[in-house]
Amino acid sequence: MTAPNSAERKACWDARDLLWKCLDDNDDRAASCQKFQSEFEANCPAQWVKYFTKRRDFLKYKEKMQKEGFKPAEGPQEAS
Amino acid sequence: MLALRCILGDLRGRLLRTFVSSSSLSSAVRPTRQDVGPQQVRFRSQGRDSASAAKLKLRTRLLIMLLFGGGIMAAWWYVSWEKQQKLRRQRVEQLRQVALGQGTFSLLDHHGRRRNKQDFLGSWVLLYFGFTHCPDICPDELDKLSAVVASLDQDKSLPPVQPLFITVDPERDDVAALARYVQDFHPRMIGLTGTLEEVKHAGRDYRVYASAGPKDEDGDYIVDHTILIYLISPDGLFVDYYNRMKNQEQIAESVKNRINGYVKI
Repeated sequence: MTAPNSAERKACWDARDLLWKCLDDNDDRAASCQKFQSEFEANCPAQWVKYFTKRRDFLKYKEKMQKEGFKPAEGPQEAS
Repeated sequence: MLALRCILGDLRGRLLRTFVSSSSLSSAVRPTRQDVGPQQVRFRSQGRDSASAAKLKLRTRLLIMLLFGGGIMAAWWYVSWEKQQKLRRQRVEQLRQVALGQGTFSLLDHHGRRRNKQDFLGSWVLLYFGFTHCPDICPDELDKLSAVVASLDQDKSLPPVQPLFITVDPERDDVAALARYVQDFHPRMIGLTGTLEEVKHAGRDYRVYASAGPKDEDGDYIVDHTILIYLISPDGLFVDYYNRMKNQEQIAESVKNRINGYVKI
């Protein structure tokens, strides 16, 4: 399977950007963005779809951490 | 440095005081020469002398203050320049200790020609490790690298910089794949590949981390790897690196400074 060339990469990135814009406008409701989702999956290799989906989740998580702050997990209590 | 200024300020104070006292001394001397005269004359002459002495004192004081002010500023500049030099030397030392890229590599370029590290000695090299199936990071970084080389090309005083791309995915990235890939970037960019062993050896030289992920149903996989652009001097030694945070202008500026400040070993 050959790697995507420059034009194919751009097509994939554009489809991804449209999908992400739709999700941003629709509060991350995947149901409203089905059309963009299928466009995205058609233009990008499967591996990239997975990668970009994970990337979006990470970016959203990072945003949340920056806005709401970070609460460290309760670890084992240190004996003082 | 504060101590230096303290000492200088103190010296200045002392000198001012001696100047003031010496000029008051000189004004005190003159009336006694004219001691044959009425009290008024003495006072008047004293007044005139002290007025001109006061002007003298002021001019002298101003001059001295300016000199010392200038001296302090010069001292401050020198100290801060020295500190910058020290920091630069420390960084060079650190990089030298890390001593990346000491070894040699032997790989195939995207035309199928064998290339060794020696072939690139004598020119500045910007090196990036990546793979052609990379979703976004490698194309971004290679675009950035190409833009850096293009902007450095504009400066006629600088030697041409050689962009290199070494794959961390030799299983899929053969000569043909690389040829297809590098044509999207700077025309001078050379893509390098080889056997798994050869590529691993080159990666080890630069302590590049590379780890292929699990294959999916298409047999496709992502290779997790160090995302750095390495700058290599004409002696073949690693002198600097640039991560994702550095933009094209910053990298070009840094490379230009390195080239201009380069001292042949």
